[in-house]
Order: sequence, then structure tokens, then C-alpha cells
Amino acid sequence: MQTLVLDAVDKRFATGVWALRAASLAIEAGEFVALLGPSGCGKSTALRLLAGLEAPTQGAVRVDRAATMSVVFQEPTLMPWSNVFDNVWLPLRIAGIARDTARERIAPLLEAVGLAGFEGAFPNELSGGMKMRTSIARALVTRPSVLLMDEPFAALDEITRYRLNDDLLAWWRAHRLTVLFVTHSVFEAAYLSQRVLVMGARPGRVAADLAIDAPYPRSAAWRTSVRYAQVARAVSEALEAASSGPT
Amino acid sequence: MKPVRLLLALCLAGVCAASIAQSPPLQKVVFATNWKAQAAHGGFYQALVDGTYRSFGLDVTIVPGGPQVNNRPLLPAGRIDFLMTGNLLHSFDNVKNGVPTIAVAAIFQKDPQALIAHPGQGYERFEALKNAPVALIAKDGQFSWWQWLKVQHGFKDEQLKPYNYNLGPFLANNKAIQQGYSVAEPIYVEKQGGFKPVVHLLADHGFSTYSTLIEARVDMVRDKPELVQRFVDASILGWVNYMYGDRKAANALMRRENPEMTEEELEASVALIRAQGVVDSGEALERGIGAMSSARIRDFFDKMVQAGLYKPGEVDLSKVAATQFVNRRIGIDVKQKLAPK
Amino acid sequence: MKSLAHLREYGLPLAVFVGVIALWEIVVRVNGIPHYILPAPSRVMVTLIDNFGSLATSWWFTIKITFGALLLAAVGGVLLASAFALSRTVERALFPFAIVLQVTPIVAIAPLILIYINSTTAALLICAWIVAFFPILSNTVIGLRAADPNLHDLFRLYRATPWQRLRLLLVPTALPYFIAGLKISGGLSLIGAVVAEFTAGAAGRETGLASRILEASFRTEIPKMYAALVLVSLTGVAIFVVFNLLSRWLLGRWHAAEQPDLK
Repeated sequence: MQTLVLDAVDKRFATGVWALRAASLAIEAGEFVALLGPSGCGKSTALRLLAGLEAPTQGAVRVDRAATMSVVFQEPTLMPWSNVFDNVWLPLRIAGIARDTARERIAPLLEAVGLAGFEGAFPNELSGGMKMRTSIARALVTRPSVLLMDEPFAALDEITRYRLNDDLLAWWRAHRLTVLFVTHSVFEAAYLSQRVLVMGARPGRVAADLAIDAPYPRSAAWRTSVRYAQVARAVSEALEAASSGPT
Repeated sequence: MKPVRLLLALCLAGVCAASIAQSPPLQKVVFATNWKAQAAHGGFYQALVDGTYRSFGLDVTIVPGGPQVNNRPLLPAGRIDFLMTGNLLHSFDNVKNGVPTIAVAAIFQKDPQALIAHPGQGYERFEALKNAPVALIAKDGQFSWWQWLKVQHGFKDEQLKPYNYNLGPFLANNKAIQQGYSVAEPIYVEKQGGFKPVVHLLADHGFSTYSTLIEARVDMVRDKPELVQRFVDASILGWVNYMYGDRKAANALMRRENPEMTEEELEASVALIRAQGVVDSGEALERGIGAMSSARIRDFFDKMVQAGLYKPGEVDLSKVAATQFVNRRIGIDVKQKLAPK
Repeated sequence: MKSLAHLREYGLPLAVFVGVIALWEIVVRVNGIPHYILPAPSRVMVTLIDNFGSLATSWWFTIKITFGALLLAAVGGVLLASAFALSRTVERALFPFAIVLQVTPIVAIAPLILIYINSTTAALLICAWIVAFFPILSNTVIGLRAADPNLHDLFRLYRATPWQRLRLLLVPTALPYFIAGLKISGGLSLIGAVVAEFTAGAAGRETGLASRILEASFRTEIPKMYAALVLVSLTGVAIFVVFNLLSRWLLGRWHAAEQPDLK
């Protein structure tokens, strides 16, 4: 059962730029899929189309009716005037759930993302990694079935990134999410996902679909294994081929 | 001509020429008025334009006042040498506050300050004015004779609206009254509004002050009395010539300084000044234009004390005016020649 | 340490201020400058105390006009800014008028307004409002448009109603900009109130400090002029302090502008 589908989608912006041309992808429920490509290849546009933030110029975007989606952007996109608790509360608040009721959901979630005790902290008091954790907590608080993530760890340092990678995999498995993870990092795509969709640049289209055959849970051992290096190389070659392909 | 006489004449001519060539430079004097150039300042411009100031050794610059201009602080600050003021209240205030200036001449024996109103609105009687819904009074008046009007004649602050020297609000509102000079505003009202306004002179109702006074610094009166005397005398002669002689050049100068003024308005104003005896009446007829008497100053002060503007003895009247520069019958002979009535 | 920081924050400007006043006093005394040219601070103080009764009434009137106009400017500015933020068409249509309001000198407008409006207090309020209005409008418009586009997207994803978007996103985003505008307008409102009264002020009870200054000027009571000016300055300083405190209270926790020095 396909949860997220782009069917031969064209997307042209008002500026005349073709972000996507005949782009197609299909993601099953429960999959962890990376969408990999160089800057400007349209992968963020693809994610925004799936999220419903943009409409395709041509072609179809199909999302499973039963799916509930949350989006995590590259910037934590927190409200600077609210503390961690209120930021995580936002989607529930908009849905009409009162603060005290929401607390039952938020408190354990904050603990799960490693922010226990920081309920009252404001974003300007948090590190980059903590802000991203808050953003993820906010995405998870609505108990979504689908998580769309647009290069969420790109702005963080390596150690924090590795930690969050592992945490993300844990949450994926714990909540049985479908995850579409947009990234420009070959290594991150290889580490995290079951499938890597490689995109070619301008205009964007899905050039390759590689399966990553490695068991979960994945850990530092995976990252240092020979198989990982081979996988990364294969993905890298696919990426190069896609990038130098017909424009 | 006999050779000796010829020689004498030549020598005299030579001496004269020599003395003219070596005549002392004119003394620079700055005189600030209290309004834009108008007929009520005519005598001063006359003395400037017909060379009277020059012949008294003075190089005079006249600095006009205007709607938003307040020249008065310039005198004690030393920026100007002589100042025109509109009434004795200014002098009283200065003495009361220890500002060292003093009046040395009073060109107007009668203050032409007046309240004007629309005809046929019941303002023919002065007593009706205090019930006018709107009285357009400018700042200068608001802080001087308006206070007297309130106490002495029952006017109220609620009536007062700022007068910004624009006839519009008065012309537009039949019930409004406004301030003006009896020798000026009625002319403008007739020209712009097409009617002759009712004019009530404050002087006719107890406001017996001198007006268009010349003020000087106390230290100048003390240290350079001859300079003061020359300026006063020349100004008095300027007034005589302006009122009774050929004033065309003075009018032309005033019109250059104040382009909004016309020749008809100036002449009409002069006619009113003469008819109302603003300059040349009372003590001036006997003792010359500019005449001042301590008795009249004291009398006016007493009236103001009665009106509650000052406390008795609050102002040392001996410091208000220096009467030694006037009352010398300057200009009476010139007037005889020009207007031998 | 907190006390040292406080000492530096308040102590330094206070010390400089006291120093300047002392210098002024010394210069006047040593040079024997007469009071009608430059009164010494001591004389100004004595005059202020002696006349405090009547000056206080005028002071209160000026304060009322200033804050009344500021309140109207804030309300009007926010409402109009919201209209502008909602519709670019409205903004393009009305913005030229807003600019005209900003650049027109009050000294010229005040007498004109008086011709049409009967009440002097209303006329003064309008004049002060005109000067105070534009910074609030201009800043709030920018603020309402300044929200992170990603946050806008999130609100769209969460299917927030326009009212929720206004309350939870636009207002908090615009708040720092609004307060910045308010700080500017506070001082301008005071200036507007005083300047308007110079040209349009009436007599009697409805008069503020400007009338007192004029009156003292015309009656050559120079120390009294200075005394009234001192009160105007105090009002300006008070406005500055009040809005700084307000800004700190509303934004202190989270806005970059209110964070303490990073030294």
C-alpha cells in the first residue's frame, strides 16, 4: 500500500524555473526512504509537494487518505517567543487541545527526545541540537504516521548529527513511522535508510532507486563496516551519474 | 568778488572738503521692530531712506518682526541696540524680572490695539464683546493686555482662540471678534471681507499705555547717552517727515521689505494714524513726538495693579523709562514748515 | 556581579549628567552671566519649585495629550498595519497618504486644523497623533510581514484558522517591531504635542508646558522658560525609560535586542 506517490510530476515556478520534470516516486507505509541529490535538484520541492505546500504544474501527487503528516524543516523553525513546552504544544493547541491535557502527551515526549527539564527554556537559550530536538518533538506530538524531513541535521555538528541519526532511527521503529528523509549527504542517506532515491539536477527527476540491504538497529558498527563503504560508494556513483545526466 | 573774499571762500571750501573727507564713520545701529513693515513703523523707515539717520551719524539696520518672530530677547542679549515694543506691560515685566532694559521714547501716544467685530452682530457696544464665542488673540496679546481684559472687562479664556495673523477665521464667522491695530486691520478687513468692521480701541476703555516705544539697554543709556539721543532725535524727525512730508520713498522701502503691503493700504493707514491722533496728540503736541511723562506711566501702572496684573510696588517705576531723551520739542519746527495749520 | 552591572548601567549616565550640570553652574557663576541670558541650574531649580503649582497643571495637560495621542497612534497604526498586511492593494492605495502625513510639518498644519476643529484639545491631539502615527504604522507593517516563511508553512500544515494565525504567529512576530515603533513614537508624540501647542494652543485651563514656555518668553521670565523646559525634558526621559522597561518586560526573555551584553 503506497503512502506517498509522485506520479510524473512537473513543477514550474512563477519565475520560469522548472524545479521538477517527470519526477516519480512511490513510498510504502513504514519505509525509511532517503531522497538524495545535490543542491537545487528539486528534492525540497518534491517534499513540499508531498506535504501539500505546493501544487504540481502537471502530474499527480497522491497521499494515503489515512496518513497523518508532520514536517521537519532544516531550520528548527521554533517560535522564539515561546518556550520549549509551548513550541511543542503548538499543533495540538491549534487543534483545540488545552495546555493541561496536552501536557500528558508532551512531557513523556520531551523526555524521549532528551529534553527533560528544558520545558521552560526559550529557543535562544538552546543549542542547535536541542532546537532540532524540539522541532522533532513538535513533529511527533501529533502522533503522525508520516514524517517528512528536509535536511533536518544539515546545520548541526557531526557528533550531534550522529546522535540524532540514532535517535531518529529509534523513534522510527518505536512509532512505526513512514519517513521520507531529504538529504544531500551520501553517508547520511546510506546510514539511515532502507532505500535511497537519487535525484538528478535541473530539472529534478528521480534517476536511481537503490536498496540498502542492512539490518536494523544500525549503529556505529554499521558506520565503520566495509559493507557500508561499498554501499556509500554505490550511492555516490549513482549520484554522480544522475548529476551528469541529461539536463 | 574781492580777492580776499575769494581766498577766504576757497579756504573754507578746502576745509570743508577736508573735513568731509575725514568725517568720522557712521555708527552701526540695529533696531528691531515688532512686526513686518507697515505704516505704524513708517517714521523709522523714513529716517532711514531720507538720510536723517545718516546725518545724525548713524548707520541703522531695521530688523522687522513677524508672525512667529520674537525679537525681544535680542535686546538684553546685546544682539540689537534698540527695540520697538507695543506697550508698557513689556517694560513693567522686564523691570520686574530684573532685565536691564529701559524705554527711551514713546512714538505712539495712543495704543492702537483694538478689538474688531462684524457689524450688525450686536458688538457695537464694547460690553458685548466679552460674550463673543470666539476671540482671536495672538500670543503677544494673550500674555499681556488679554490678562487685563479678563480682569477689568470680564473676558474669559474659554473665548480665546489663537490668532495666527490670518483673517480667514474672523471673516468666516460672524460672531467672532479678533485683535488688530485700529490703523491697520480695518483696512485689510474692508479689502478682503468687503465690509467695515466695528472697531473698539482698548485705549478708550482704560488701556492708557504708550505704544511703539523705543527700548534700549540700561548700560547703553548709561555709557553712550549721546548715541541714544541721536537715535531718538533722528527717529522723531523721521516720524515728522513721514506724517507730514513726502513719504513716497519710505513707503516704497516698506513695500520692498513687506511685499504683501500695497501703497493704498499704507496711505489709508497713515490717514487713520493722523485722524485718530495716535502719534501726534496730547503731550506730543506740546513737547514733540515721542513724549513720555512719569506721571502717565505711574497712572497706567496703577490701573494695571487695580486689574490684578501686578502687586503694588512690585515694579520700580523709576527704572521703566528714561524721559531725558524726549520732551525736547524736537521736530516741532519741521512740522510747522511742512504742515503749517 | 549584578550590582556592578547595575552600577555601570545607571551610575555612569547619572555621573555624566551631574557633571554637566555642575559645569553649567560653574560657568554661569564664574562669568557672571545674567539670568535673562543663561540662568544657572540652581536658579532654574528655585524657579521650578516656586512655580510648581501652576507648572504641574500644565505638565499634566501635556502628559495627557502626549499619551492620548500615542494611544490613538498605536491603535490606529496597528489597525491600519493589519489592513496593509492583509491586502497589498489597500497598502498601495493608502500608503502615499501615510507618507504625506509623515512629512508634513506640524507647525504649518496646526493652525489649519484649528480652523476646522473647535476644541483646542482635540486639535492638539490630532497634531501629536500625526507625528506619532507613522513610525508605528511603518514598523508594524514590516513586523506583520516578518514571520519566518517556514512558520507560515507550519501553520498552514496545522490548518490554523486566520484568527489563530494572527494570534499565535503574526502578533508575536510583529511585537518587537511594534515596540520599536512605539519607542520612536513616544518621543515624537511629546514633541508633536509641544510644537502643536506653540502654534495652536489656547488660553486658560486647556494649556500645557508649551504655553508656559511661550508665556515666560513673552514676559521675559527666562528662568521660568528653562524650568518648563526641564519638565519637558523629564517627560521625554520618562517616556524613554517607560518604553525601555516595557520592551524588556515583553521581549526580555527571548528577543536579541534585549539580551544583556555578551562581554
